[in-house]
This record gives sequence, C-alpha cells and structure tokens, in this order.
Amino acid sequence: MKTLIIEIVEPKRLGELLTVSRKFCDQPDIVVVGAGKVPGSFGTAYQVEDTVAANLISDIASLILEKSYEIILLSASTLGAGIAAPLSVRLSAPIVSEVIEIQPDLVVERPLYGGKAMATYKLKKTPVVLTIRRKYFEAAELQGFTESVPMELTEKKVDLISEKEAKTEGVPLEDAEVIVSGGRGIGASENFSMLQELAEFFNGAVGASRGAVDEGWAQPTQQIGQTGKIVAPGVYFAVGISGASQHLAGIANAKCVVAVNKDEEANIFKRARFGIISDYKKIIPVLVEALKEEA
Amino acid sequence: MHIAVLAKVVPDYEVPAGDFELTNNRAHERYKRMMGLYDENAVESGVQLKEKYSAALTIVSYGNTDDIPVLRKAVAMGGDSIQLITGNSDDPSIIAANLKMALDSLGNVDLILAGQQSADMDRGVVHGILAEMLGFAFIPQVAQIEHENNLWKVIQNTESGIRELEFGGKAVLSITSVPENVPRIPIVRSIFAAKKKPVDKIAEIKSDAMTIDEISLKIPKMESVCEFLPAEDDLAETAKFLLRRLREERYI
Repeated sequence: MKTLIIEIVEPKRLGELLTVSRKFCDQPDIVVVGAGKVPGSFGTAYQVEDTVAANLISDIASLILEKSYEIILLSASTLGAGIAAPLSVRLSAPIVSEVIEIQPDLVVERPLYGGKAMATYKLKKTPVVLTIRRKYFEAAELQGFTESVPMELTEKKVDLISEKEAKTEGVPLEDAEVIVSGGRGIGASENFSMLQELAEFFNGAVGASRGAVDEGWAQPTQQIGQTGKIVAPGVYFAVGISGASQHLAGIANAKCVVAVNKDEEANIFKRARFGIISDYKKIIPVLVEALKEEA
Repeated sequence: MHIAVLAKVVPDYEVPAGDFELTNNRAHERYKRMMGLYDENAVESGVQLKEKYSAALTIVSYGNTDDIPVLRKAVAMGGDSIQLITGNSDDPSIIAANLKMALDSLGNVDLILAGQQSADMDRGVVHGILAEMLGFAFIPQVAQIEHENNLWKVIQNTESGIRELEFGGKAVLSITSVPENVPRIPIVRSIFAAKKKPVDKIAEIKSDAMTIDEISLKIPKMESVCEFLPAEDDLAETAKFLLRRLREERYI
C-alpha cells in the first residue's frame, strides 16, 4: 500500500515510522518538516521549511490526494497532533491516534482510559491517518540519505515568532538507559537535585510525573506519561510517584521499575520489579554513597 | 470577545488500574463522573482570558443530561453558560460535527479551547477535527494565551521546549497543563450561583461516523512481581543489595 510518512528530521522518530511503514510497503515516501539532510532511503522525500502544523495541512492533503497515498504515518508528537486530525477531515479518512500495534490488514491497537484498557480497531477504508506512539516500534536503521524535493506551501495561518529549546543536562530522556523520576512526593523543586545526582552516576536522565510538572518543580519537557514523554529505559527509578495509570502508560516499556515510596499502598509498586517503602530522602543519598564507593 | 471551552464529562480517571472494570465495552457505570483532566485546565485558561479581556465564556459539551451537575463546576469557575448537545456517540467525527453545530448556533465565537485530550478515550483528535470542520486554525498543546493588537499570541509546549506562535484569525487550541492554569477551586457563593446559570440543551444532529470498527476492548493483565527490599534497619545494605540485583539481572 502506498505509504507517506510526515516527520521532522529526527533519526529515532523517523526510524520508528519506517519500521511501521514496512508492514505496508518496501519504501515509503516522506514529507520532511523543517531543514536538514534527510537520513534514510525513501522513494520521494518532499521537504517543507515551515514547521507550523497549521500551515501544512492544505498542501499535504493535496499531495496525498494527487499521489493517492493510502497510509499516512506520523509520530504521536506535537507536530503529529497538529497535523493528523485536520488532515483526516481534508481526506475524509479515518484517524487513529497513539497506535501501539498494527497489522498489515489495518487492524490496530491503542490504549484507552489512561492505559487501563486496550482497544482493537479495524480500519475499513483507505486512506487512513495514524499517529504512532513513541517507543513501541524498534527504530529501523536509516541508511544513507535521500535527496529532497522542495515543497511550496500556499497557506499561512499561523506565524512562528520564536522557538526555545529547553535546557537539558546529559542524555535526552527518550534515549536514557536509566531514568530517575520524581513525583509530588518529592515535595519541592530543589529536592530534584538529589535525583539528578543519582541519575548522573548511571549517565541517566531525570524525569517527572505530571503532578511534579504542574507544581512547577520540573520542566514540561521532563514529563513522563501518557501526555508527556514515552520512555523505555533499562531501569526506571520512580521516586515519590504514586503510579497513576496515565503515568504508567509512559513507562510501559521500561524493563525494570524501582519504586521508592513512603506509602506501601501506592499503585506504583504493582508495576515495580523492586520496591522500597521508605522516605526517599533516606534511601537516595545512601544509594548515591554506595555508587560513590563503587566508583 | 467570545470564548468557548469544550468540556467532556468522563468516568473517574483516578480509578487505579487494578480496580478498573468494563461493562458493555466501556468504563463501568458505577464510577463517579467528573470533568476531563485537561478540560479543567482549558476552563481555567478560558476564565483567565474572560477576566483579562472582559470576554464572554460559554462551556460547550457533548454528552447526556446527567452531566449537567458536573458541568456546573465549569460555570462556578467562571463560565457564563452551558451549551449541552445531548448524545452518546464515541465517534470523534460525530462528536465534532455536533460541537460544530452548537458553535455555529452561537455565531460569534472568536476562540475555542479544549483539553489536550479527553480522560476516557484519550484520543486528542476531536478538537483538530472540529477546527478543520469550522475552517479554523488548530494549535495543539498550548500553555499560555495573550491577545494584543487583534492578534493572538500563544506559547506551545513541544517535546524539546516551547514555541511562540501568532495568528490573526479564529482558532481551536488544545490546552496542556502548566502551573499557570491549575484549575481554581470555586468559592461556595459561585457554586450556588452556578446552579442558576442557563443551560441550553440541544438535540444531536445526524452525521457520518468514521469508517472504523471497534473489534474489542480489553483490560490488560498486570501481574505484580514486586520484590520489596528491607528499609527499616540497614539502608546501606539495602542500597548495595539493590545495585547487585540490578546488575545480576542485567538491567544496568
């Protein structure tokens, strides 16, 4: 089936979508959003400079209709969320968001109720628009580069005034093999430095629950969960995190969860491999000391 | 200025996974009904805009009449009135078409806010579909909104940071949660006053569903394998034991 990927130049995101696309075709086409060389081998790579989703809908829809693409793939990201639903209306196409499993016969799975239930759908006609949840599909290796064809836009609804990258120390959350994450139980912004110290020993990253982000103790870019980042580390330290299903949805693919919580009834222990019922202020410094001794 | 906020009443989203049950392929009816998680952030953002720009603020919802007492919270927070389209479809296209009908009947809406996704279906697509049906711009994951010189300026949260965007026309914005839009707790006087605010009930219109069949809905099995480590006496020994086990099981 003729497949089109719409994505920014980010190798892991591109690789994951490429993996999904191979269920439908050997070589998909791509609309690359933003500047940069296009890594990987694609049939045709169209490239747009404008990165504001609202400005892309009309021309991407025209391209899809003209070239008769049947499968449209985007990652479940800010860009994907901005394009997918309006595009589905333009194409009169069904849309399924946050897909975590997909079969070539267009049977797809996605979570509902904050990950407490799993729905299976059959898409009955093409084209279809799908957003793919991060970290559920192994990223395909991107070999070589594809020469891109510039794509002119005819519509500008929204202007980009400025863009600011959040300051991150160390490894990005999505790539970290060890994540130390804090929730409301951390109690204050400054206490996150304790988690940072532990994370540094593992060359890891510091994450946060929605509650901690809402309190202003951590940046939104650090939020892990259904509506934050989806991560798949080797070890996930959940410190002072109760374990709401929406948070657990973001760590479903973590290999080992170590939960530290004073509340023995905390839901996080149901997802954990190891649990420590304790005040994190007691155990985390001791863990750091143990790592210092080993170093 | 007229702002509409879309709010959906959903089953209690804080029910732990272990206690979650389905009936008729949906959340069990016994769960308490509440306003969607992000919808409350959207209502708060709408109330702040109302206060800053003396705007009118209408709460628009698709659901059933049992939802009215829950929706009154949005009015107690600062909304002026409620428009409820009575219907029970879960299809995003049908819901969006009905919201469009209600918004068209309001006639003069400048900005539409909605939570970034509902707390039951978790799709985050209805607002984008609605925007396209209305011919409005759609911007997801908006954290802040300002209006200046007939232009809207918004801050959008992205995976890597923030973006400042500007537009002059009408738009649908999906609202994310940030410390600045944590929902206010209505005062008692507002709660009582909300009971007298108008609720406009509108019958659902027929529209086409998406060409998707829901084959099944299941609760995934969650087997607890947690090994609790001692934390009463020698924490240093517990820490060493944990690190040893993580290495033995090749997690680090």
